[in-house]
Order: sequence, then structure tokens, then C-alpha cells
Amino acid sequence: MMDLKDCYIKFGGDFDEVLGRLRREQTVLKFLYKFLDDKSFQLFEESMGNQDYEEALRAVHTLKGICQNFSFTRLYESSSRVTNALKESDWNKAIDMMPQLSRDYYEVRNAIEELKHSKEE
Amino acid sequence: MENSKKKNSTTRFLTYSFVGLLIYSIITFSLLGIYMGRRSKKAVYEIGQIYMSGMNEQMSRHFETVIKLRFDQVGGIVSVVSADNSDKEKLYEELVYRARVRGFDYLALCSIEGDFQTLYGESIQPLNPGPFVEALVQGEQRVAVGSDSAGNEVVLFGVDAAYPMRNGDRSTGLIAAVPLEYITDFLSLENENQLMYYHIIRPDGSFVIRNSNSELWEFFEQLQERLRSPASESPEENPVEKFGAALKNYEEYAATLEVNGEERQIYGIPLPYSEWYLVSVMPYSILDDTINNLSSQRLFMTVLSCASILIVLIWIFSRYFVITRSQMRELEKARQEALEANKAKSDFLANMSHDIRTPMNAIVGMTAIATAHIDDRKQVQNCLRKITLSSKHLLGLINDVLDMSKIESGKLTLTTEQISLREVVEGIVNIMQPQVKTKKQAFDIHVENISTENVWCDGVRLNQVLLNLLSNATKYTPEGGSIQLSLSEEKSPKGENYARIHIKVKDNGIGMSPDFLKKIYDAYSRADEVRTSKTQGTGLGMAITKYIVDAMEGTIDVQSELGKGTEFFLTFDFEKVVAVEMDMVLPPWNMLVVDDDELFCRTAIDTLKTIGINADWVLSGEKAIERINQRHQAGDNYQIILLDWKLPGMDGIQVAREIRRSFGNDELILLISAYDWSEFEAEAREAGISGFISKPLFKSTLYHALRQYMDMETEHDYVLKQDIDLSGRRILLAEDNELNWEVASELLSDLGLELDWAEDGQICLDKFQKSPEGYYDAILMDIRMPHMTGYEATRAIRALDHPNALSIPIIAMSADAFSDDIQRCLECGMNAHIAKPIDVVELTRLLKRYFV
Repeated sequence: MMDLKDCYIKFGGDFDEVLGRLRREQTVLKFLYKFLDDKSFQLFEESMGNQDYEEALRAVHTLKGICQNFSFTRLYESSSRVTNALKESDWNKAIDMMPQLSRDYYEVRNAIEELKHSKEE
Repeated sequence: MENSKKKNSTTRFLTYSFVGLLIYSIITFSLLGIYMGRRSKKAVYEIGQIYMSGMNEQMSRHFETVIKLRFDQVGGIVSVVSADNSDKEKLYEELVYRARVRGFDYLALCSIEGDFQTLYGESIQPLNPGPFVEALVQGEQRVAVGSDSAGNEVVLFGVDAAYPMRNGDRSTGLIAAVPLEYITDFLSLENENQLMYYHIIRPDGSFVIRNSNSELWEFFEQLQERLRSPASESPEENPVEKFGAALKNYEEYAATLEVNGEERQIYGIPLPYSEWYLVSVMPYSILDDTINNLSSQRLFMTVLSCASILIVLIWIFSRYFVITRSQMRELEKARQEALEANKAKSDFLANMSHDIRTPMNAIVGMTAIATAHIDDRKQVQNCLRKITLSSKHLLGLINDVLDMSKIESGKLTLTTEQISLREVVEGIVNIMQPQVKTKKQAFDIHVENISTENVWCDGVRLNQVLLNLLSNATKYTPEGGSIQLSLSEEKSPKGENYARIHIKVKDNGIGMSPDFLKKIYDAYSRADEVRTSKTQGTGLGMAITKYIVDAMEGTIDVQSELGKGTEFFLTFDFEKVVAVEMDMVLPPWNMLVVDDDELFCRTAIDTLKTIGINADWVLSGEKAIERINQRHQAGDNYQIILLDWKLPGMDGIQVAREIRRSFGNDELILLISAYDWSEFEAEAREAGISGFISKPLFKSTLYHALRQYMDMETEHDYVLKQDIDLSGRRILLAEDNELNWEVASELLSDLGLELDWAEDGQICLDKFQKSPEGYYDAILMDIRMPHMTGYEATRAIRALDHPNALSIPIIAMSADAFSDDIQRCLECGMNAHIAKPIDVVELTRLLKRYFV
């Protein structure tokens, strides 16, 4: 049985911080499930694919904001780095950092799905 | 070395060119002088010649006139006296008479043979009768010189006249004579004062009239000799020769002769009515005097101008030399400074690398240890604690370096906002307390007569400055030392709207040497190695502090003595916040302030008086009890007692206990403390303490605390609580991400706020535009949104024709919390900025500020 805190540890987040902000585990959980539906990352990947860097910047910036809200520390860091690279118009650097971002993103996503799964059982 | 060589070469170049110029100008001027001398000598000689020829011509004309006059007279006699008179004697008488009348001394008739029949006067013989008689025979008029028997020389005038002579012949001419002086007088030939003197000579070189000046006699003798021997025809280049030739041809002649080492100019011109020659002589010495005079003057002027030019040159050269020298010195200085700065930077880099590596090593090491003991919770916790400490230290270092690089690139900007000095100081006290506590130092805060608590200032930077000074104070003060922070206010010279705030940070720590004080504000210089070995830091703190203070247009001064301690004085002129200051007046309660710090007591009493409270003060717990007892007896009890926690002898809690024991529970007893009172809160409550007030005691601190404890608390509560009533307020939240919106909505709904979601800037603008007046109380604005960014939306909203367009508070929410971003938000017309993720407490505080 996996609990919320384990989930946070797994994907490198700060559970105490998010709990301090949202105060109830239930709220945190609710939002974590909603995160699965958030399309910012997909929008980012798509925009990068289309070389629409402005849209990509906005998407990854949003992702960064979400990470801050939920204290996804590790994902926050990688999204923040990509944001900065795009802000500096350093496309190649941003592209180089995409695999890391993707890894971090799916780590969060998989952890949450695993959590959801274990709760539903 | 290379530099001194360069300097020498410059000096050498200067010297050489100076000497070269000197020689050149001297040569030029002397050549000029010589040339001009020659030219002017020639010119003067030419002038002399022209003058002489003019004079001679005049003289000859004068001679002609005089001679002609006499001829006319003789001619007159001849024309009047007829030769036909048969009576010879009568004829002679007639002639003599007429000659006498005309002033002649002598009259004679001349025969063709040249015999003279004297009619009157002494018998006279011409000196050179040949040509004279010959001319008479030819029928010409002629002058000649003759002498009587006594040797007196006379001038003879002969005209053609055929009178009968005693011997029966007819005469060929009538001859009259005047003394020679007649001519010499007329021609002024003997005048001593003249420039020139004259000789009259015959063509054979013999003198007719010989001037008394004897210098040329020899020359004329040579001439005579030359002319007597006509054999040599060869044209010798000899003045005698030439003159002789000229005489023969009856021509004018000019030459320069050297006699007795002096030069003479001679000029010969033939005289009319005679075979004579007028020779004028001018000694060059007269001309030479003029020339010498002229040339000496010119020499003097030349030397003078040469000297003046040289003086100017010397001046220019010396100035140039001095300028070059000083430039060179400055260059050298600048080079030295650059070198030093460079060295300081590389030293700094080396130090920094070391400083960064130390905590970094700790972090890496501790992480390794923690990983190795992952199951040992205690060990891991210990490691994490150490990692946190090192990280914080590292972060501090990096922040300093970043600040410094921002300062150096001129990018450090101030974000001026409304701040409360009270909040700033309270915040600092909270931060400092743990540090002070660990070192067991006494930390005193004095707030004197601060009447302006809310000012415009960059709170973050002010905090940084104060924290830097205070943490230095704790760092460099040994355990058990004391640290003091004082604030005071006075009128600002900047005007009514400003307040001058003095802040003093004082410690009794190790102090600084005068040498160190000199470079205390220099970046990258940590001079004192002893200090740095014990305590760590970038050494940039003071440079940053100084820069921030300067940017805030404040001043910072320091006084320090090794081993005695350090005092920093800050002075700022802050603009007052114009917001209506709450009228802070309380009922005239009687109050006693108990603190061992007299200064603190006095300032507290002053502050209390301004809010209408009658207060006394004592310096110890024992005295306080005594004073309370007195008032108790008099039936005039204190209503409030303000106790310091730390007191000599009895401490605050003991005093409170004693008061409660002796006088019951009538008085309100408040404990003042600069420290966190949670440790002794239970004990204090148990001892009968009614409440706590934290130092520093600002006017508002006292006002609100006293109101609260005297049950006068109203909605103007300055302490933020979770249950603040924001319910019913409607907020428009612009946020493009649904998830973020939901989080915000969740958090803010808990506060009772009603939220409207705008998915982007455009929708936000539309929603606000369509809203009735006063519908929304505030707008929370994300910055990075599709279609319209937060900046654009804000500008558009401010430009709308809506009753609330200008008044509605717009608060930016963004993850970019750099001060440049904040600045930009404010420039777009937003009221404030809050960093993401949303901190409910911070947001509530902000909202409350705009919901008043």
C-alpha cells in the first residue's frame, strides 16, 4: 500500500510543503489526480515538435507553475531549466534538456497513477 | 623597468628637441642679424652716395650761380664801357670805377700773349695762366686762381673784351678778381660742422682750393704724379687710375678709398666755367656710426626677441614635460590599481572556490554518510541538519556573489514599496535571535521617537543591509558580548514628506584596525586573514551593503577600535507613506515601565506619552514593587505594568509573581521581550503575566498591544489571524492553467472569497469590462498567458472607461520573482506582486491592505 507521502518521495517532491499549502491530504490527492489530466506537458512536447517555441515556453512555464503549486521539486527544477533556456532563446539547449524533463514528468505521472491504482484496489 | 626606460626616452627626446630648437633659433637669428647688417650697411652706403651726388650737384650749381653772377658783373662792365673811347686813361678810369663799384679788388687787361696790364689793385699773376689765356683767346669766359706778390690768392674772372692796351695792342680779355675767400665762403667749403668737406682740383690733380683736412693730400699727389706721366695706358684697377681717367674725360666719379684704415667716400664732379673739379669727401666713420648704432640696436632687439622666444619655448617645454610626467604618473597609478583590482579578484576567486568547496564537501560527504546509513533515522537526520546548514551557508555565498555581479554590471535595482519599519525590525529581530542566542549575546533594541513607521523603501534590501550588519556584529563579537540596534527619527532636510531615520548597530566585539576600516567597503578584499580563518563569508557583504545604502541615497559611517567593538551609523531619508496615519490615542492610563536599561525606559515613556498614557519608570524589580506599593497605599493604582523579562536581581517573572501575591490581580502585567517567549510562556502565565509585547517598542506596537490587552481590540487588528473575514469579497483571477486555477480557487475559497476565473488576459479584460461598478474587489493576474499577457491585460484594464478601471487593485502572480519583473509589473499599473506558489498568508495580508 502506497501512501501520498511515499508517492512524493518517489518522484522527488516536498510533501510537507504541499501539505502546508493545501493543508488537507484529501485536497492534495484531489489535485494530484487532476494533474493527470493536465495537458501542459503534452502541449509543450507538441509545440517543440512544431518548433513553436513561444507556445512551448508558455506551456513549460505553466508546468513549472503547477510544480510549484504542488511542490514537485524535481520536475520543477527540470521544467525551470527548460523555461530559462527557452527564455534565452537557446532552442538547442532546451531540446537537449527535453529527455530529462520527460523522465521527470513521467516519474511524477507514473507515481500518481500507481498511487491512484493502489487506492482504488 | 620598462616604464622607467620609456620615461627616460621621453625625457631624452624632450631634452634633445629642446636643445635642437635652441641651437636652431640661435643660428637663425644670428644669420638674420648678419644678413640684415650687410643689407643695411649697403643701403646706408647707397644713401650716402645719393646724398653726396645730390650735394655735389647742388654745390656745383651753387658754384655756377656765384661764378655766373661775377661773370655777369664783369660782362656788365664790358658792355657799359665802350672800347671805342680814344682816351685810354679815361677809359681805364671808367673801367676801374665800375669794377670798384662791383666790389672787385683787381682789374686787368690781358693780351693775347697772356701779359696782364693791371688797371687797378696789386699786380696778380694766374697760377696756371695757360689754359686761362687760351680760353680768353677762344672768346670764352673762364675762372682761374691767381696770386698777388704777397701770395694772397684771388679768383680771376676773365671775359672776352677788346680794349686798347697801353702798348697799343688790343686786349683779348678783361680780368677782374675777388679774394679766394669769396668762393670758399660762398660754397661754405670750410665749414667744420658739415658731414662732408670739399677740394677743388684742376684736371692735372693740383689743388685749386685745398681743404684744411689733410688726409687725402697724399692721394692727390699720387694723382698728380699719375697724370704727369701719361705713358701708362693700362687700365689698372686702382682708384687713382680710375679717377685720373674720369678727370681726363671730364666725367663724374664716385669711389671709396681707404685712408689710415678708415674708409672715405669721394665724389668728383666737374665745375662749369672752369676746368676745375669739385671733389667732395665724406668719411665713412659718420655713416659707420649710424650703421653701428643701427646694428647694435638691431642686435639688441634680435637678442631680445630670440630670448623671449626661448623663454616661451622653455616654458612650453617645461609645461609639456610636467604634464607628461604627471600623465605618466597617473598612468602608472591606474596600472597599479588595475593590477591590484585584478589580483584582488583572483584572490577572491581562489578564496571563493575554497569557501564554496568547503560546504559543498560537507554536503557531498554528509549525503554519502546519510546514504550509507539510510535506515538509521537519527544518523540521517543529523546528516540532513548538517546538509541544511551547509546549503544555507552556500546559498548565502552564492547570493552575495550574484548580488555583487549585479552591482558590478549595474543591474541591481531597488523595488520601492510601502514598508513598515516596525515589521522590518521585528522580522530582523526574529531572524537574529537564534544566532544571538547561540552565542549567548545580549541583544538590545532601542526605538526612539519613531513617529513615521510606514515609509517607501525597498524592504528586502533594507533587510539585507541590517541583517548583514547585525550578523557581522554577532559573528565578530565573542560569546557573552552585547549587540545593540537603535533607531531614531528626525526631520529630513529633503522636506515635509520625508523622514530621516538613523539606524545604529553597535557591538563590543573584536573591532577593526584602521587599515581594515579603509577598505571595508572594497569588494573582494578580505584583508584580515585571522578574521577570515575563523569566520566565513564572501567578503562582499560590506561592499553590497555600501552599494545598497548608496542606491537608497543614504549614508553609512563606521567607528571601530580593535578589541573594543564597532559601531555602524546608517542614515536614510525615506519618503513617508501618505496614507492617513491612524490616530493612535489611548485613555490616560497609569503605567509603570520596568527595565534595567535607562535609555530604553526613557524612549518607551516618550512613546507612551505620545499615545496619551501617563507612565513612570524604574530600573529594577525591587524598585518596581516598592513603587507599586506606594501607589497602592495612595489608592492610585497603576493599571498597566510593563516588565522586562531580563532584570538584574529578580527577573520579570519573579517580579510578576510577587506583584500578584502582594497586590492581587488588578493590574495588567505585560512582559516585554526581544526573545521568543514560547519557552517561558507557561511559566509566565502561571506567574500571573497577562500578556507579551515584543521588542522593539514602536508606537504602533504599544498601541495595538495595549488595546488588545485592555479589551479594546477592534477590526483594526494588526496581527494577522487565519480567520480574517474576507468573505463575500469577489476576486477575478486570470490564470490560463486549469489546475493552477483550481488550486488557487481551493485555497482562496477557504478564506471566504468568491472567485471568478478568467482563462486568459483577454477574457479577464472582457469580464472586468462587463462587470457592474464595484462588482470585483480585486484582480489576481497571472503574467504569462496566451492571447494577452498579464502586462497587456493590466494596461488595457487601466485604460478602460470603467468606474473602477483605475482604482481596482491588480496583484500580479508569477513565478518570476526577480525584482526586475516586479518592477515591470508595477510599471504596467499593477499594485503589487506575489510570487507563485501562492502563499495564503502573504496573499491575505496583501488583500487586506487593499480592502481597507
